[in-house]
Amino acid sequence: MATLDLDWEDVRDQLRLWREDNTRHSEEVIDMWTYCLKHYKHKLGDERWMVEEQVVIAGLDCFRLDVAEPCLISINEQFPGSLRVRKLKAMRLEALERFDEAIDIYDSIIRQDETNSTARKRKVAVLRGQGKIPEAIRELTEYLKKFMSDGEAWQELCDLYLKEGDYSKAAFCMEELILTNPHNHLFYTRYAEIKYTQGGLENMEMARSYFSQAVKLNPNNMRALYGLFLSCTHVASSSKSTVPKKKETQRLAAWALKEIEERYSKCRTNTMEGTNIFETFGSLSLTDKA
Amino acid sequence: MAELLLDSDIRIWVFLPIVLITFLCGIVRHYVSVLISTQKKVDLTQVQDSQAMIRARMLRENGKYLPKQSFLMRRHFFNNEESGYLKTVKRSAAPQPMTDPNMMIEMLKSQLTNVLPMIAIGGWINWTFSGFVTTKVPFPLTLRFKPMLQRGIELVSLDASWVSSASWYFLNVFGLRSIYTLVLGENNAADQARIMEEQMSGAAMAMPQDPKAAFKAEWEALEIAEHKWALKDVEVDLLQKAEVDCLFDSFSFANNT
Repeated sequence: MATLDLDWEDVRDQLRLWREDNTRHSEEVIDMWTYCLKHYKHKLGDERWMVEEQVVIAGLDCFRLDVAEPCLISINEQFPGSLRVRKLKAMRLEALERFDEAIDIYDSIIRQDETNSTARKRKVAVLRGQGKIPEAIRELTEYLKKFMSDGEAWQELCDLYLKEGDYSKAAFCMEELILTNPHNHLFYTRYAEIKYTQGGLENMEMARSYFSQAVKLNPNNMRALYGLFLSCTHVASSSKSTVPKKKETQRLAAWALKEIEERYSKCRTNTMEGTNIFETFGSLSLTDKA
Repeated sequence: MAELLLDSDIRIWVFLPIVLITFLCGIVRHYVSVLISTQKKVDLTQVQDSQAMIRARMLRENGKYLPKQSFLMRRHFFNNEESGYLKTVKRSAAPQPMTDPNMMIEMLKSQLTNVLPMIAIGGWINWTFSGFVTTKVPFPLTLRFKPMLQRGIELVSLDASWVSSASWYFLNVFGLRSIYTLVLGENNAADQARIMEEQMSGAAMAMPQDPKAAFKAEWEALEIAEHKWALKDVEVDLLQKAEVDCLFDSFSFANNT
């Protein structure tokens, strides 16, 4: 195991980085904890509790209750009655599929602290975990009425609507995300994809514009290049569009095609760099993360 | 001027006790304020208001990246005369800080932990250790520093780089910040300088902003916001850029061969 040779301070810094970036890396966290940091927990000082919280969540993610439970117990002893610990307990119940009890705990947290957004979001997650997508959507819209600038929640709602096939509402959520960060090419790509899926000349032109914007922001976005090419060909072959428009669109399609070819010829000569974009695309989805 | 030689008893009975006393007072103050402070409860409506404001502001700033239809729809949601969010949500005017009993208690607590010990300890130190020349800064200073460094000693002939006991106390009060961070961690309550800053800006910050007025201002700003679609020419831009790149490539290619 590589982590065995790691310095515990390096491991601590790595975990801190992941905490700050809000990325889970559950399996790695568990490995680092069990093989390294577990033996140094007395050296961590006050950070110990945050690390243990991280480990609990990671353990529940991977259903490693043998790792999660000791940490949960020690946090509980340190902070009895804390809402954050209560949330962790409820998450454990979720992992054990005792959803109703988990919901009860979340409700009690919300009663105690109305502004606790994580408990509300966990409730949505419980519903989603049970496969009750419409209920989850209803709960999440209620949440968004109160916390309307929460980008993460809009992203999740977009995902849920896509699961339900409600494209116009998913597009609305994506627009909301573009508002929060207009420089993220992935948002533009996803929005254009939704528009493309909706179909019709108007939506297709919209998709073309947004794919172009994504390509403009990140010229290496292969998915956007493909989308640009496809939406252009659709617009160009549509019977409703005018001749000069068609010409312009055809030129754009040709350009996109040329770009794609160029990228692939480069990939063939160099190593496979094209896979990167698919990795980053995974980050568009909150839950399907590896 | 002849060099002064200080009695080593001054070091043991004045210089070090002042450092120790200020340091320990800071630690005690930290724990007392942790003990008596209460967590600030945030109102749900307050959160909702601020989130709505953020969203409206983002719409105003980044709305140009959305299709016109979407932008208008959102503006309608916020600004519509009958059903708009910024129009219909009625919030009471900001409460007066003095009439709110919770606020009074908060203020009393902060006074209790900040100002009282400062006065008490400062007075006591002034009274017990007054009139000592405690130490000397290792660099020459101009006469202007005399009132700052030699509080309590009115000697015209004394060199300005000597520090009196009262001034040494004040230097400690403000200079122990990094020691406190080391001992107590970040954001501790022992830090006098931070408290001073808070009191300076506190008057402006602590006043809960009036949601009614803020909503009205946001409504106005959104009302006059014009939608200019940023993506209107994006395809043309792309093609033009491609052409320029192409030209440049062929140009450099021609140069190379």
